[in-house]
Amino acid sequence: MTSLSDTSCLTGHSVLVTGASGAIGQAIVKRLLADGAVVFAAGRNETTLQKLSETDPARIVPLVYDIADEQAVKAAFRTIQSKQSDPAVGSLIGLVNNAGVMDEASLMLSSLDAVKHQLNVNFLAAYQHMQLAARLMARLKQGAIVNVVSQVGEQGSAGMSAYAASKAALTGATKALAKELASTGIRVNAVAPGFIDTSLTEHYDDKAKEAVLSRTAFNRAGTPEQVADAVGFLMSSASSYTSGHVFPVDGIFHP
Amino acid sequence: MTNQEKLTQAFCDALGIGPDQVKDDLQYNTIKEWDSTAHMVLISELENTFDVMLDTDDIIDMSSVAKAKEILAKYDVSF
Repeated sequence: MTSLSDTSCLTGHSVLVTGASGAIGQAIVKRLLADGAVVFAAGRNETTLQKLSETDPARIVPLVYDIADEQAVKAAFRTIQSKQSDPAVGSLIGLVNNAGVMDEASLMLSSLDAVKHQLNVNFLAAYQHMQLAARLMARLKQGAIVNVVSQVGEQGSAGMSAYAASKAALTGATKALAKELASTGIRVNAVAPGFIDTSLTEHYDDKAKEAVLSRTAFNRAGTPEQVADAVGFLMSSASSYTSGHVFPVDGIFHP
Repeated sequence: MTNQEKLTQAFCDALGIGPDQVKDDLQYNTIKEWDSTAHMVLISELENTFDVMLDTDDIIDMSSVAKAKEILAKYDVSF
């Protein structure tokens, strides 16, 4: 029987985490390291990634690229592919699509360029990562993909239609791919955070923060570590019979 | 192992068929073993065997054993 603390399935294997230079990304990297994985930490901030990798140079492989650049993503996967036979890295059995951008604007004030940018980063880039990661995992007939979506995408929020649409698209893909990839042994789930204290929300002033928290039953913001714990669970063998689900980490949030 | 032997082995491993079935005219979706799931595993096997990363358009085009050889040739794999 697998206990909740049994995460040994990640030992000897590797996981790719996008958006690894952000607060949630770094928390996810730390969680997966604790669970035994080697982590490909992807992001654009080379300095931050370098500092992160110095905390565990043997098990953190920094990958500096723009996830919205299709060719750069392919090049990153070539790097991952080339390390698959290295026993110090191990085969890729996990992908965490964590990178994202959030641009708050009402319908009338949303430029189409801003809408496209959010769709590119939050959905299309994540989709391409799933395409390429699934190909590496298919040979092994095992793997787990966790997409970081949002309660804004699940429930909608005024003034965030483009962001909501981009995250809802990723939720849709999560549910469809869970069914499509089930026969290859690859599970696909999502984590839907509510209001989490990160750089994406640091521009909120006290009044705006209070307004959001008043719609959260727990009346407090979540932490990156709480999101990382959910990701770790869905990546581990403790959730081996779970696929196609959206796991809320939101303190009961109603945007 | 020649590239032809490697290709045959990749098809056998991915589709779970015998080497005698891996002929140039074998086509996608014409045997139950070569369905969409097996196609994904096949792509994975071919990429691993020949150390290449195929473009999505090439994956879509890979509709037979002969076509697989033609596409792999674009990645400097000769048969």
